[in-house]
Amino acid sequence: MLVFTLRRLSLFMFTMLLLTLLSFSLNFLFPGEAIINLSGAINATPSQLIELNEAYQTHRNFFWQYMTYLSHIINGDLGLSMASQSDISTEIVNLLPATIELSLVALLIAMLVGIPLGFIAAIKHNKLTDNLILSVSMLGYSVPVFWLGLLAILAFSINLGWFPSAGQISLLFEIELVTGIQFIDILLSDSPYKWQAFSDATAHIILPACVIAVAPATIFIRLARTSMIEVLETNYIRAASAKGLTFQQIIFRHAIRNALIRIIRHVGLQFANLVTIAMVTEVIFSWPGIGRWLIESIYQRDYTAIQSGLLVLSCFIFIVHILTDFIYAALNPLARGIKYGA
Amino acid sequence: MNLLDIRNLSIELIHDEQSILAVDKISLSMKEGEVRGLVGESGSGKSLLAQALVGVLDDKWHVHADRFHWRGIDLLHLSIEERKALLSRDIAMIFQEPMACLDPTTSIGEQLTEAIDSGQLSGFFWQRKQQRQSAAIKLLHKVGIKDHNACLSSYPHQLTEAFCQRVMIAMALARRPILLIADEPTAAMEISNEGQIFRLLASLNQLKNMSILLISHDIENITHWTNTITVMYSGQFVEAGTTTQIFSKPLHPYTRALVDSSPSANLHLPAKSRLKTLPGSIPILQHLPIGCRLGPRCPRAQQACVKAPSVTNFHGHKVSCHFPLTPPSPLPKKIIKGDN
Repeated sequence: MLVFTLRRLSLFMFTMLLLTLLSFSLNFLFPGEAIINLSGAINATPSQLIELNEAYQTHRNFFWQYMTYLSHIINGDLGLSMASQSDISTEIVNLLPATIELSLVALLIAMLVGIPLGFIAAIKHNKLTDNLILSVSMLGYSVPVFWLGLLAILAFSINLGWFPSAGQISLLFEIELVTGIQFIDILLSDSPYKWQAFSDATAHIILPACVIAVAPATIFIRLARTSMIEVLETNYIRAASAKGLTFQQIIFRHAIRNALIRIIRHVGLQFANLVTIAMVTEVIFSWPGIGRWLIESIYQRDYTAIQSGLLVLSCFIFIVHILTDFIYAALNPLARGIKYGA
Repeated sequence: MNLLDIRNLSIELIHDEQSILAVDKISLSMKEGEVRGLVGESGSGKSLLAQALVGVLDDKWHVHADRFHWRGIDLLHLSIEERKALLSRDIAMIFQEPMACLDPTTSIGEQLTEAIDSGQLSGFFWQRKQQRQSAAIKLLHKVGIKDHNACLSSYPHQLTEAFCQRVMIAMALARRPILLIADEPTAAMEISNEGQIFRLLASLNQLKNMSILLISHDIENITHWTNTITVMYSGQFVEAGTTTQIFSKPLHPYTRALVDSSPSANLHLPAKSRLKTLPGSIPILQHLPIGCRLGPRCPRAQQACVKAPSVTNFHGHKVSCHFPLTPPSPLPKKIIKGDN
């Protein structure tokens, strides 16, 4: 297990190195001066510019410039936003938790709905239930998310009035920012209206999370269905049934775990897709997350914000990817060994 | 009374609205305490037959039989659930490639304990786990695994093939079966391990009076362990009799060829001469010949062979051939299977 962890860590290090290399090179590829793109100081006086050039070591070669850039990132200095002239790292610290919260809830919903439905479809293979689930998943997959989001607001917020249409929590509640993850903050706060705030935040997150979850859930349905069908045809399932186990015992003791192993790695891959969908959805539901902020930065040609936002988001996706790898290793004894640890 | 009595069992593969008769009217009977060998080339439907007996075939296979008796009970009149319950209680099966037959994500201990029937356990539910554990250890000792703790906590990929097969046998023994079906238990195994597995099966047969249906493609090896042998070819019944009858006086040209193709039968051949084999190979399922399926390869085939022969019984030595080799004496033929 130690070797497995070390391998994942080294993979993380190298991927981060490549990502920073990409975001560093973006500063030179974007229009404008590299030093301005890097620092975001568009209104800098000549004396400030000299200071910045010294800070980013622009007189030395690219390698040292990159090294200085890395040290800036490690120290938490991502520059200033070109549009608002505020510190990008504090903005990201404020905005990223909301996105993490939204995308993790969406991932949870997608998994909890998609995987069991896929299993049911596989067990009822080639029957009406299977065809029904497959057609619904096809439909869900082909609906564009921006249209689905507007439709959901129209139906559930305006016509039915069940859920609020925008924001993360009602402005009436004052929640102190501690971790940034709203639900944890609410639970930590000592406000007398804690539980009202909690239910309000839940009502706010349900609609956007469900909209985000639709497309990944349909992918999980298909993945779960194929892997379950494959598992049910393996020899060990046949042997288990010859051993005298009932169908339920076979499914719950042997089939589900083996099918999950085949799915769990794809969950990590799908997460990147899910975050992209979340960015669009954040705009529709005015969710104060990093996705909306990044899209706004793109509109405003805020190059400093774009490259830092990309870096942070991809870092987050990669961490989730590694976490799913650990879950995979926990489920699969084959992956844990040194021999198969690659 | 026969333990198992099957008459005219056919297995059809339904595929794209056309059906292929993979196993064509096989009859098989077993007595209590008997070790019967089921011999045939790969693709002759031996494994299919075994899986149909235990009832683990997919939906795409259709099984028909004229008679299917298990210890005097007519299974054809029972519902599928009752039949499955009865068969899984009394019949156990071990498969070829034991490693593929063990769940790779579950430890051996878990897989072994779940095979133990809760009917065998006594006491309250909080004592069950302990009892299952000790029963599992006893089972491992029975199949000759001494280091039970290491075995129970390991996963299938950490064990060798022969070890896995022992675990499979232990699982099969968990329900105290009356019949054990061993489907090529030693395929892909080294020769020393092969001997160990066969000796284990033989001792189970002698000590516990457990009947064994031993499926193999290797007629020479199997003769050391069996009382009776049934030979199949391409899904058809070929010949059945005691091991000595089959090995020393085969009546069917196919059995003759099988016996002749074994290395010990070819010992007297001069060096670098060809071994005796039948020309050609076993037909694929999509292109089965009509009549006797051996026809195109048979050295004694004649025009009559385009019709499937009926089974002839010479003192319990049954053969399905129009022109059997050296029939003992022209005894009155007792026709069992009369489809033409």
